[in-house]
Amino acid sequence: MPDSIEELSYSQALAELEQIVATLRGNNCDIDRLTALTRRASELLLECRRRLTATEGELEQILAGLEAAAGE
Amino acid sequence: MEAVRLSALNARIGRLVNADSSLREVWVTAETSDLRVSGGHCYMELVDKDDDGHTVRARARAVIWASALPRVEARFLAVTGTRLRSDIKIMARVTVSYHAVYGLSLVISDINPEYTAGDLVRRRNEIIARLRAEGVFDLNRTLEPGPVLNRVAVVSAAGAAGYGDFIRHLYSNPRRLRFSTELFPAVLQGERTASSVIAALERIMERVDEFDCVVIIRGGGAVADLASFDDYDLAANVAQFPLPVIVGIGHERDVTVLDYVAHTRVKTPTAAAAMLVAHQEAALDALRGTAAEIKTLAGSYINGQRQQLAYILGALPAMLRAVTDAHRRRLGTETASAISTAASAQMRMQTQRLDSLAMLVDALSPQATMRRGFAIARSRGRALTSAATLSTGDAIEITLADGAIDATVTGLHIPEKNKN
Repeated sequence: MPDSIEELSYSQALAELEQIVATLRGNNCDIDRLTALTRRASELLLECRRRLTATEGELEQILAGLEAAAGE
Repeated sequence: MEAVRLSALNARIGRLVNADSSLREVWVTAETSDLRVSGGHCYMELVDKDDDGHTVRARARAVIWASALPRVEARFLAVTGTRLRSDIKIMARVTVSYHAVYGLSLVISDINPEYTAGDLVRRRNEIIARLRAEGVFDLNRTLEPGPVLNRVAVVSAAGAAGYGDFIRHLYSNPRRLRFSTELFPAVLQGERTASSVIAALERIMERVDEFDCVVIIRGGGAVADLASFDDYDLAANVAQFPLPVIVGIGHERDVTVLDYVAHTRVKTPTAAAAMLVAHQEAALDALRGTAAEIKTLAGSYINGQRQQLAYILGALPAMLRAVTDAHRRRLGTETASAISTAASAQMRMQTQRLDSLAMLVDALSPQATMRRGFAIARSRGRALTSAATLSTGDAIEITLADGAIDATVTGLHIPEKNKN
């Protein structure tokens, strides 16, 4: 599995998140690892969220593109 | 030889045909072919084929005059879900008509749409049975869609109202869900439908990794031509397509083979967009759930650690005191000072003893005795303590306080009482 989050597919990122949840649920992670795991989890969550939702600017761009296409 | 002109002969045929009441208002069944509308009239060939579907047993030209066409066609479409077209079976009420110039043709005054509908259902069922027998019928339906379906390949007619509805609905979702769509233009009505949609699917297939799903949509509006979707090749392509295919071809009432084999069937393009939005909202909610769970779990970890730390910090002073107390008791500061006191007393005592001993040794030393006038006489290194051990002429050594004398015994004087 590639380390760079951008290279992960959504499914891969989701699978890694579930793995982290399982590790945390397992109650056997030390405090140093906890920091690394939660940091990775928050990065994965941000990337997944980014892929699901568009920013205002992106949305405007898409809609403008559609209107231009409709005007042709 | 007597001859008549062709017009005269045709006139005779015309009289025969038009006079025969058994050729008027007859219900016939046949298959349509080469159907076209021209000048408001609908022209076609009616064909009667063998059961093998190839050998033609009978053929006749037929026409629906413009005066009857709207009524006949509207009812046909309402019942069958398809327009009048080639290659369908119809039951038509015909009157045989003969025209001297145009020849024999059947004038259709009515069509029984239930007959065609039944035939279409039978044909649809045959396609479904064939797909089942080939093991492909359920392939797309049972595909497990990915967690997100936001890279959408759209098969639609570019300018169609349905396409616009779909795009507007998809991109104006209130949660700003991200979608990317690419249009693969296709013809979605008439006889070119199947081949056109198959071609679009093939173009998508070339870049299949770039998409999560395929949406086949067609504008709603008037009841549309659905029978063109009842096509074996189209259904087989959709059924075996590796991405989930969502079909929204704008109809409420009827269901085509395509609707059976597609992963998801919705009524309208707008409903297709709504379905994608709902799927993605679920993904976003699931993500939120995961985030909350990680937060809770990590938080409880940190809390646990914090509690442990607090416990240790709270207990530490008492623990330290207990440990040092134990050590203090064992070492004992009082004992230590007592030891040092005792040791110094001992030292003092020992010093005093040594001092008096030294004085005693000094007082007892032969040196001091010799200084008082005593001498030590030795013979052969040994101190002499008896005169009787000596004889006249023995050499002796006499040690005094400041030196020694070598002497020779010249006489012995031993009292009688000391002689043995």
